[in-house]
Amino acid sequence: MRRTSTVGLAGVAGVLLLSALVTAQNTAPSTAPRSPWKYYPEDARANVGPGGPAPKRDLGGTWAGESSGAGVKGPVRPEREPPLTPLGKQLWDRNKAESRGVLIADSNDPHLRYCDPFGFPRNMTDQIRAMTITSLPDRVFVLILFQTIWREIWTDGRALPANFAGRGANVHDPTYNGYSVGRWEDDYTFVAETTGMAPETWATEAGHPHSVEARVTERYHRSSKNDLTLTMTMDDPTLYTRPLKLGEIYFRWIPSQTFFNTTCIPSSLQRYLKEMADPAGGASVAR
Amino acid sequence: MKPKVLMMAVLIAAFAAIDRPSFAHHGGTAFDITTPVVLKNAVITEFLWINPHPLIKADYKDDKGNVQQWTMELGGLVGAQLIGWTRTSLQPGDVVTLYVWKAKTGALVGRFNKVDFPDGTTMRDSQTGADDGGRSDSGQRN
Repeated sequence: MRRTSTVGLAGVAGVLLLSALVTAQNTAPSTAPRSPWKYYPEDARANVGPGGPAPKRDLGGTWAGESSGAGVKGPVRPEREPPLTPLGKQLWDRNKAESRGVLIADSNDPHLRYCDPFGFPRNMTDQIRAMTITSLPDRVFVLILFQTIWREIWTDGRALPANFAGRGANVHDPTYNGYSVGRWEDDYTFVAETTGMAPETWATEAGHPHSVEARVTERYHRSSKNDLTLTMTMDDPTLYTRPLKLGEIYFRWIPSQTFFNTTCIPSSLQRYLKEMADPAGGASVAR
Repeated sequence: MKPKVLMMAVLIAAFAAIDRPSFAHHGGTAFDITTPVVLKNAVITEFLWINPHPLIKADYKDDKGNVQQWTMELGGLVGAQLIGWTRTSLQPGDVVTLYVWKAKTGALVGRFNKVDFPDGTTMRDSQTGADDGGRSDSGQRN
Protein backbone atom coordinates (compact mmCIF):
# COMPACT_ATOMS: atom_id res chain seq x y z
CA MET A 1 0.00 0.00 0.00
CA ARG A 2 2.87 2.31 0.86
CA ARG A 3 4.52 1.43 -2.46
CA THR A 4 1.31 2.30 -4.27
CA SER A 5 1.19 5.66 -2.51
CA THR A 6 4.82 6.34 -3.38
CA VAL A 7 4.25 5.52 -7.03
CA GLY A 8 1.17 7.72 -7.07
CA LEU A 9 2.96 10.65 -5.49
CA ALA A 10 5.85 10.23 -7.90
CA GLY A 11 3.37 10.33 -10.75
CA VAL A 12 1.81 13.56 -9.51
CA ALA A 13 5.27 15.07 -9.01
CA GLY A 14 6.18 14.05 -12.56
CA VAL A 15 3.10 15.70 -13.98
CA LEU A 16 3.79 18.91 -12.06
CA LEU A 17 7.46 18.90 -13.12
CA LEU A 18 6.50 18.42 -16.77
CA SER A 19 4.02 21.26 -16.49
CA ALA A 20 6.67 23.51 -14.91
CA LEU A 21 9.16 22.68 -17.67
CA VAL A 22 6.62 23.53 -20.36
CA THR A 23 5.88 26.79 -18.57
CA ALA A 24 9.54 27.68 -18.28
CA GLN A 25 10.11 26.93 -21.95
CA ASN A 26 7.23 29.08 -23.04
CA THR A 27 8.12 32.06 -20.90
CA ALA A 28 11.61 32.43 -22.34
CA PRO A 29 12.19 35.90 -23.88
CA SER A 30 11.38 36.00 -27.56
CA THR A 31 14.12 36.91 -30.02
CA ALA A 32 11.67 37.68 -32.82
CA PRO A 33 11.54 41.24 -34.24
CA ARG A 34 9.29 43.52 -32.20
CA SER A 35 6.84 46.16 -33.31
CA PRO A 36 6.35 49.11 -30.94
CA TRP A 37 2.66 49.00 -31.85
CA LYS A 38 2.08 45.49 -30.55
CA TYR A 39 1.73 44.16 -27.04
CA TYR A 40 3.70 40.99 -26.46
CA PRO A 41 3.42 38.36 -23.72
CA GLU A 42 6.71 39.54 -22.22
CA ASP A 43 5.23 43.07 -21.93
CA ALA A 44 2.46 41.69 -19.78
CA ARG A 45 5.06 40.19 -17.48
CA ALA A 46 7.15 43.37 -17.34
CA ASN A 47 6.59 44.28 -13.72
CA VAL A 48 7.34 41.74 -11.04
CA GLY A 49 6.99 42.53 -7.36
CA PRO A 50 5.98 45.83 -5.78
CA GLY A 51 8.53 47.90 -7.73
CA GLY A 52 9.13 50.28 -4.85
CA PRO A 53 6.96 52.54 -2.70
CA ALA A 54 3.81 54.09 -4.09
CA PRO A 55 4.14 57.73 -5.14
CA LYS A 56 2.03 60.12 -3.07
CA ARG A 57 -1.38 61.15 -4.40
CA ASP A 58 -0.71 59.61 -7.79
CA LEU A 59 -2.78 56.93 -9.54
CA GLY A 60 -1.59 57.98 -12.99
CA GLY A 61 -0.58 55.36 -15.49
CA THR A 62 -1.83 52.28 -17.23
CA TRP A 63 -3.08 49.44 -15.10
CA ALA A 64 -3.70 45.81 -15.98
CA GLY A 65 -6.64 43.95 -14.51
CA GLU A 66 -7.67 40.33 -14.12
CA SER A 67 -8.56 39.77 -17.77
CA SER A 68 -5.53 41.58 -19.18
CA GLY A 69 -3.33 38.56 -19.67
CA ALA A 70 -0.84 40.00 -17.18
CA GLY A 71 -1.44 37.35 -14.57
CA VAL A 72 -3.20 39.73 -12.19
CA LYS A 73 -5.01 37.83 -9.46
CA GLY A 74 -8.75 37.44 -9.71
CA PRO A 75 -11.08 39.82 -7.91
CA VAL A 76 -13.29 39.32 -4.89
CA ARG A 77 -16.64 39.05 -6.63
CA PRO A 78 -19.82 40.93 -5.72
CA GLU A 79 -21.97 39.31 -3.06
CA ARG A 80 -23.86 36.36 -4.52
CA GLU A 81 -26.53 36.32 -1.82
CA PRO A 82 -27.51 39.98 -1.92
CA PRO A 83 -29.52 41.48 0.98
CA LEU A 84 -32.53 42.40 -1.13
CA THR A 85 -35.73 44.27 -0.35
CA PRO A 86 -38.91 42.75 -1.87
CA LEU A 87 -38.60 45.09 -4.86
CA GLY A 88 -34.92 44.29 -5.15
CA LYS A 89 -35.67 40.56 -5.21
CA GLN A 90 -38.23 41.05 -7.93
CA LEU A 91 -35.67 42.77 -10.13
CA TRP A 92 -32.87 40.33 -9.23
CA ASP A 93 -35.06 37.37 -10.21
CA ARG A 94 -35.92 39.04 -13.50
CA ASN A 95 -32.28 39.34 -14.55
CA LYS A 96 -31.08 36.12 -16.21
CA ALA A 97 -27.31 36.30 -15.92
CA GLU A 98 -24.88 33.91 -17.57
CA SER A 99 -22.75 33.92 -14.44
CA ARG A 100 -25.74 32.52 -12.52
CA GLY A 101 -25.87 29.44 -14.75
CA VAL A 102 -27.99 30.72 -17.62
CA LEU A 103 -26.76 30.03 -21.13
CA ILE A 104 -26.25 32.97 -23.46
CA ALA A 105 -29.18 31.78 -25.52
CA ASP A 106 -31.49 32.18 -22.53
CA SER A 107 -29.93 35.30 -21.00
CA ASN A 108 -31.50 38.76 -20.99
CA ASP A 109 -28.21 40.47 -20.19
CA PRO A 110 -28.56 43.80 -22.03
CA HIS A 111 -24.88 43.85 -22.93
CA LEU A 112 -24.51 40.22 -23.87
CA ARG A 113 -27.59 40.16 -26.06
CA TYR A 114 -27.68 43.71 -27.46
CA CYS A 115 -24.28 45.39 -26.93
CA ASP A 116 -25.90 47.86 -24.51
CA PRO A 117 -23.29 49.70 -22.43
CA PHE A 118 -22.31 48.07 -19.17
CA GLY A 119 -22.74 51.37 -17.33
CA PHE A 120 -21.22 52.06 -13.94
CA PRO A 121 -20.48 50.23 -11.64
CA ARG A 122 -20.47 47.10 -13.84
CA ASN A 123 -17.78 48.60 -16.08
CA MET A 124 -15.41 48.64 -13.09
CA THR A 125 -15.98 45.01 -12.08
CA ASP A 126 -16.70 43.06 -15.28
CA GLN A 127 -14.18 42.27 -18.03
CA ILE A 128 -11.39 44.18 -16.33
CA ARG A 129 -8.59 44.24 -18.86
CA ALA A 130 -6.76 47.56 -18.98
CA MET A 131 -7.42 50.88 -17.32
CA THR A 132 -5.58 54.19 -17.55
CA ILE A 133 -5.95 56.90 -14.92
CA THR A 134 -5.01 60.48 -15.67
CA SER A 135 -6.04 63.83 -14.24
CA LEU A 136 -6.63 67.54 -14.75
CA PRO A 137 -6.50 70.04 -11.88
CA ASP A 138 -10.24 69.68 -11.27
CA ARG A 139 -10.96 66.02 -12.11
CA VAL A 140 -9.65 62.52 -12.49
CA PHE A 141 -10.30 60.52 -15.65
CA VAL A 142 -10.64 56.76 -15.65
CA LEU A 143 -10.18 55.30 -19.14
CA ILE A 144 -11.38 51.73 -19.48
CA LEU A 145 -10.22 49.54 -22.34
CA PHE A 146 -13.22 47.23 -22.52
CA GLN A 147 -15.81 49.03 -24.67
CA THR A 148 -13.60 52.15 -24.86
CA ILE A 149 -15.17 54.02 -21.96
CA TRP A 150 -14.09 57.07 -20.01
CA ARG A 151 -15.39 58.30 -16.69
CA GLU A 152 -14.77 61.67 -15.08
CA ILE A 153 -14.55 62.10 -11.34
CA TRP A 154 -14.73 65.73 -10.22
CA THR A 155 -12.29 66.82 -7.53
CA ASP A 156 -13.21 70.52 -7.36
CA GLY A 157 -15.27 70.14 -4.18
CA ARG A 158 -18.74 70.11 -5.76
CA ALA A 159 -21.50 68.05 -4.17
CA LEU A 160 -23.21 65.15 -5.91
CA PRO A 161 -26.57 65.90 -7.52
CA ALA A 162 -29.63 64.53 -5.76
CA ASN A 163 -32.63 65.42 -7.87
CA PHE A 164 -33.35 62.69 -10.42
CA ALA A 165 -37.15 62.75 -10.41
CA GLY A 166 -40.01 65.15 -10.95
CA ARG A 167 -40.13 68.07 -13.38
CA GLY A 168 -38.07 71.19 -13.84
CA ALA A 169 -34.78 72.46 -15.17
CA ASN A 170 -32.82 71.20 -12.16
CA VAL A 171 -33.73 67.56 -12.60
CA HIS A 172 -30.64 65.54 -13.51
CA ASP A 173 -30.91 62.90 -16.17
CA PRO A 174 -29.42 59.57 -15.19
CA THR A 175 -26.38 58.62 -17.26
CA TYR A 176 -24.59 55.34 -17.94
CA ASN A 177 -21.64 56.34 -15.77
CA GLY A 178 -23.55 58.49 -13.31
CA TYR A 179 -22.15 61.59 -11.62
CA SER A 180 -18.88 61.22 -9.70
CA VAL A 181 -16.89 63.24 -7.19
CA GLY A 182 -13.63 62.26 -5.51
CA ARG A 183 -11.07 63.20 -2.90
CA TRP A 184 -7.82 61.90 -1.40
CA GLU A 185 -8.51 60.17 1.89
CA ASP A 186 -4.79 59.91 2.54
CA ASP A 187 -1.66 60.03 0.38
CA TYR A 188 -2.31 56.59 -1.08
CA THR A 189 -6.10 56.26 -1.06
CA PHE A 190 -8.45 58.05 -3.44
CA VAL A 191 -12.19 57.79 -2.72
CA ALA A 192 -14.87 58.40 -5.34
CA GLU A 193 -18.64 58.62 -4.85
CA THR A 194 -21.07 58.15 -7.72
CA THR A 195 -24.84 58.39 -8.11
CA GLY A 196 -27.40 58.95 -10.85
CA MET A 197 -26.62 55.82 -12.87
CA ALA A 198 -29.09 54.74 -15.57
CA PRO A 199 -31.31 52.22 -13.75
CA GLU A 200 -31.84 49.98 -16.78
CA THR A 201 -28.23 48.79 -16.55
CA TRP A 202 -27.09 45.89 -14.38
CA ALA A 203 -24.78 46.84 -11.51
CA THR A 204 -22.80 43.63 -11.98
CA GLU A 205 -22.28 40.75 -14.38
CA ALA A 206 -24.48 38.66 -12.06
CA GLY A 207 -27.42 40.98 -12.66
CA HIS A 208 -27.58 42.91 -9.40
CA PRO A 209 -30.16 45.65 -9.98
CA HIS A 210 -29.76 49.26 -8.92
CA SER A 211 -31.97 52.32 -8.72
CA VAL A 212 -31.09 55.81 -9.92
CA GLU A 213 -30.55 56.85 -6.30
CA ALA A 214 -27.94 54.15 -5.71
CA ARG A 215 -24.68 55.52 -4.36
CA VAL A 216 -21.45 53.71 -5.12
CA THR A 217 -18.25 54.24 -3.18
CA GLU A 218 -14.93 53.37 -4.84
CA ARG A 219 -11.78 53.24 -2.76
CA TYR A 220 -8.55 53.12 -4.80
CA HIS A 221 -5.62 52.16 -2.62
CA ARG A 222 -2.13 52.15 -4.11
CA SER A 223 -0.05 49.98 -1.82
CA SER A 224 3.13 50.09 -3.92
CA LYS A 225 4.35 51.43 -7.23
CA ASN A 226 2.95 48.41 -9.06
CA ASP A 227 -0.12 47.48 -7.02
CA LEU A 228 -3.54 49.09 -6.90
CA THR A 229 -6.64 47.71 -5.18
CA LEU A 230 -10.13 49.00 -5.85
CA THR A 231 -12.78 48.25 -3.22
CA MET A 232 -16.39 49.00 -4.07
CA THR A 233 -19.69 49.14 -2.17
CA MET A 234 -23.17 50.22 -3.26
CA ASP A 235 -25.73 51.78 -0.97
CA ASP A 236 -29.23 51.54 -2.47
CA PRO A 237 -31.89 51.35 0.27
CA THR A 238 -34.71 51.00 -2.28
CA LEU A 239 -33.40 47.60 -3.38
CA TYR A 240 -31.02 46.41 -0.62
CA THR A 241 -31.42 46.21 3.14
CA ARG A 242 -27.77 47.19 3.71
CA PRO A 243 -24.83 48.38 1.58
CA LEU A 244 -23.87 45.74 -0.98
CA LYS A 245 -20.25 44.68 -1.30
CA LEU A 246 -19.34 44.91 -4.98
CA GLY A 247 -15.96 43.35 -4.36
CA GLU A 248 -12.26 44.05 -4.66
CA ILE A 249 -10.48 44.40 -7.98
CA TYR A 250 -6.72 44.16 -8.30
CA PHE A 251 -4.53 45.99 -10.79
CA ARG A 252 -0.85 45.90 -11.74
CA TRP A 253 1.00 48.84 -13.25
CA ILE A 254 2.01 47.80 -16.77
CA PRO A 255 3.34 50.93 -18.50
CA SER A 256 3.61 49.51 -22.01
CA GLN A 257 0.12 48.05 -22.08
CA THR A 258 -1.66 48.67 -25.35
CA PHE A 259 -5.34 49.44 -25.60
CA PHE A 260 -6.71 46.89 -28.03
CA ASN A 261 -10.03 47.69 -29.59
CA THR A 262 -12.69 45.70 -27.75
CA THR A 263 -15.79 47.68 -28.63
CA CYS A 264 -18.96 45.64 -28.91
CA ILE A 265 -20.18 45.95 -32.50
CA PRO A 266 -23.91 45.18 -32.75
CA SER A 267 -23.67 43.58 -36.19
CA SER A 268 -20.78 41.36 -35.04
CA LEU A 269 -22.65 40.40 -31.88
CA GLN A 270 -25.78 39.46 -33.83
CA ARG A 271 -23.69 37.24 -36.07
CA TYR A 272 -21.96 35.66 -33.05
CA LEU A 273 -25.29 34.95 -31.36
CA LYS A 274 -26.98 33.60 -34.49
CA GLU A 275 -24.13 31.43 -35.75
CA MET A 276 -22.46 30.37 -32.50
CA ALA A 277 -23.98 31.08 -29.10
CA ASP A 278 -27.64 30.39 -29.80
CA PRO A 279 -27.06 27.05 -31.60
CA ALA A 280 -24.71 26.08 -28.76
CA GLY A 281 -27.22 26.92 -26.06
CA GLY A 282 -30.65 25.68 -27.05
CA ALA A 283 -33.25 25.19 -24.38
CA SER A 284 -32.72 21.43 -24.45
CA VAL A 285 -29.18 21.68 -23.11
CA ALA A 286 -28.73 20.21 -19.67
CA ARG A 287 -27.54 22.77 -17.15
CA MET B 1 -7.26 -0.76 -1.85
CA LYS B 2 -8.66 2.59 -0.82
CA PRO B 3 -5.34 4.49 -0.94
CA LYS B 4 -4.70 3.03 -4.40
CA VAL B 5 -8.07 4.18 -5.63
CA LEU B 6 -7.46 7.58 -4.08
CA MET B 7 -4.08 7.92 -5.78
CA MET B 8 -5.55 6.94 -9.13
CA ALA B 9 -8.22 9.59 -8.66
CA VAL B 10 -5.55 12.18 -7.85
CA LEU B 11 -3.56 11.24 -10.94
CA ILE B 12 -6.58 11.36 -13.20
CA ALA B 13 -7.53 14.74 -11.77
CA ALA B 14 -3.98 16.04 -12.30
CA PHE B 15 -3.95 15.04 -15.97
CA ALA B 16 -7.45 16.35 -16.48
CA ALA B 17 -6.46 19.71 -15.03
CA ILE B 18 -3.69 20.04 -17.58
CA ASP B 19 -5.64 19.00 -20.66
CA ARG B 20 -9.02 20.57 -20.15
CA PRO B 21 -9.98 24.17 -20.72
CA SER B 22 -11.31 26.42 -18.01
CA PHE B 23 -13.68 28.73 -19.81
CA ALA B 24 -13.54 31.99 -17.94
CA HIS B 25 -16.13 33.61 -20.09
CA HIS B 26 -19.00 32.94 -22.42
CA GLY B 27 -20.88 29.74 -22.62
CA GLY B 28 -18.51 27.26 -21.01
CA THR B 29 -21.34 25.03 -19.79
CA ALA B 30 -22.69 24.67 -23.32
CA PHE B 31 -19.84 22.45 -24.51
CA ASP B 32 -18.89 18.83 -23.99
CA ILE B 33 -15.32 19.09 -22.74
CA THR B 34 -14.71 15.39 -22.19
CA THR B 35 -13.02 14.85 -25.57
CA PRO B 36 -12.41 17.32 -28.38
CA VAL B 37 -13.79 16.46 -31.79
CA VAL B 38 -10.96 16.19 -34.33
CA LEU B 39 -11.63 17.55 -37.82
CA LYS B 40 -8.82 16.34 -40.06
CA ASN B 41 -8.23 18.13 -43.36
CA ALA B 42 -10.84 20.74 -42.58
CA VAL B 43 -10.97 23.63 -45.04
CA ILE B 44 -11.21 27.10 -43.57
CA THR B 45 -14.06 29.01 -45.19
CA GLU B 46 -14.03 32.14 -43.03
CA PHE B 47 -12.14 33.57 -40.05
CA LEU B 48 -14.14 36.32 -38.35
CA TRP B 49 -11.96 38.54 -36.18
CA ILE B 50 -14.81 39.90 -34.10
CA ASN B 51 -15.99 40.69 -30.60
CA PRO B 52 -17.02 39.15 -28.33
CA HIS B 53 -15.18 36.11 -29.75
CA PRO B 54 -13.42 35.40 -33.04
CA LEU B 55 -15.17 32.71 -35.07
CA ILE B 56 -13.62 30.00 -37.23
CA LYS B 57 -15.83 28.58 -39.96
CA ALA B 58 -14.69 25.44 -41.72
CA ASP B 59 -15.91 22.66 -43.99
CA TYR B 60 -15.14 19.11 -42.90
CA LYS B 61 -15.78 15.98 -44.94
CA ASP B 62 -16.89 13.09 -42.73
CA ASP B 63 -16.21 9.35 -43.28
CA LYS B 64 -19.18 9.10 -45.63
CA GLY B 65 -18.05 12.01 -47.75
CA ASN B 66 -20.68 14.39 -46.40
CA VAL B 67 -19.49 17.97 -45.94
CA GLN B 68 -20.16 19.36 -42.48
CA GLN B 69 -20.12 23.12 -41.99
CA TRP B 70 -18.63 23.94 -38.59
CA THR B 71 -18.47 27.14 -36.57
CA MET B 72 -16.29 27.48 -33.49
CA GLU B 73 -15.29 30.31 -31.18
CA LEU B 74 -11.96 31.31 -29.71
CA GLY B 75 -11.40 33.04 -26.39
CA GLY B 76 -11.55 36.83 -26.25
CA LEU B 77 -9.69 38.99 -28.74
CA VAL B 78 -7.24 40.41 -26.21
CA GLY B 79 -6.16 37.00 -24.94
CA ALA B 80 -5.86 35.71 -28.50
CA GLN B 81 -3.77 38.68 -29.62
CA LEU B 82 -1.53 38.28 -26.63
CA ILE B 83 -0.54 34.77 -27.69
CA GLY B 84 0.10 35.61 -31.29
CA TRP B 85 -3.25 35.47 -33.08
CA THR B 86 -4.04 38.06 -35.73
CA ARG B 87 -6.92 38.44 -38.15
CA THR B 88 -4.84 36.62 -40.78
CA SER B 89 -3.77 33.62 -38.69
CA LEU B 90 -6.32 31.54 -40.58
CA GLN B 91 -7.32 32.25 -44.13
CA PRO B 92 -10.00 30.84 -46.45
CA GLY B 93 -8.68 27.78 -48.23
CA ASP B 94 -6.27 26.74 -45.46
CA VAL B 95 -6.38 22.96 -44.96
CA VAL B 96 -5.80 22.19 -41.30
CA THR B 97 -6.72 19.86 -38.44
CA LEU B 98 -9.09 21.46 -35.97
CA TYR B 99 -9.80 20.31 -32.41
CA VAL B 100 -13.08 21.52 -31.01
CA TRP B 101 -15.23 20.99 -27.91
CA LYS B 102 -18.62 20.35 -29.48
CA ALA B 103 -21.85 21.91 -28.21
CA LYS B 104 -24.04 19.64 -26.12
CA THR B 105 -26.97 20.49 -28.40
CA GLY B 106 -25.35 18.43 -31.14
CA ALA B 107 -25.20 21.41 -33.49
CA LEU B 108 -22.00 21.71 -35.51
CA VAL B 109 -20.69 24.49 -33.31
CA GLY B 110 -18.20 24.43 -30.50
CA ARG B 111 -15.37 25.91 -28.56
CA PHE B 112 -12.10 25.90 -30.47
CA ASN B 113 -9.26 24.01 -28.79
CA LYS B 114 -6.30 24.08 -31.21
CA VAL B 115 -5.32 23.94 -34.86
CA ASP B 116 -2.55 21.89 -36.43
CA PHE B 117 -1.09 23.27 -39.65
CA PRO B 118 0.40 21.10 -42.44
CA ASP B 119 3.91 22.35 -41.60
CA GLY B 120 3.66 20.79 -38.16
CA THR B 121 2.99 24.00 -36.25
CA THR B 122 0.13 24.48 -33.80
CA MET B 123 -1.88 27.40 -32.51
CA ARG B 124 -4.00 27.10 -29.39
CA ASP B 125 -6.96 28.80 -27.84
CA SER B 126 -6.22 31.52 -25.32
CA GLN B 127 -8.32 29.83 -22.66
CA THR B 128 -6.80 26.39 -22.84
CA GLY B 129 -4.21 27.51 -20.36
CA ALA B 130 -2.83 30.43 -22.32
CA ASP B 131 -5.06 33.24 -21.14
CA ASP B 132 -2.46 34.53 -18.73
CA GLY B 133 -0.16 36.08 -21.28
CA GLY B 134 1.41 32.87 -22.42
CA ARG B 135 2.71 31.94 -19.00
CA SER B 136 1.48 28.39 -19.09
CA ASP B 137 1.01 27.63 -22.75
CA SER B 138 2.20 29.77 -25.62
CA GLY B 139 -0.38 29.73 -28.36
CA GLN B 140 2.09 30.95 -30.94
CA ARG B 141 2.98 28.66 -33.76
CA ASN B 142 5.83 26.53 -32.64
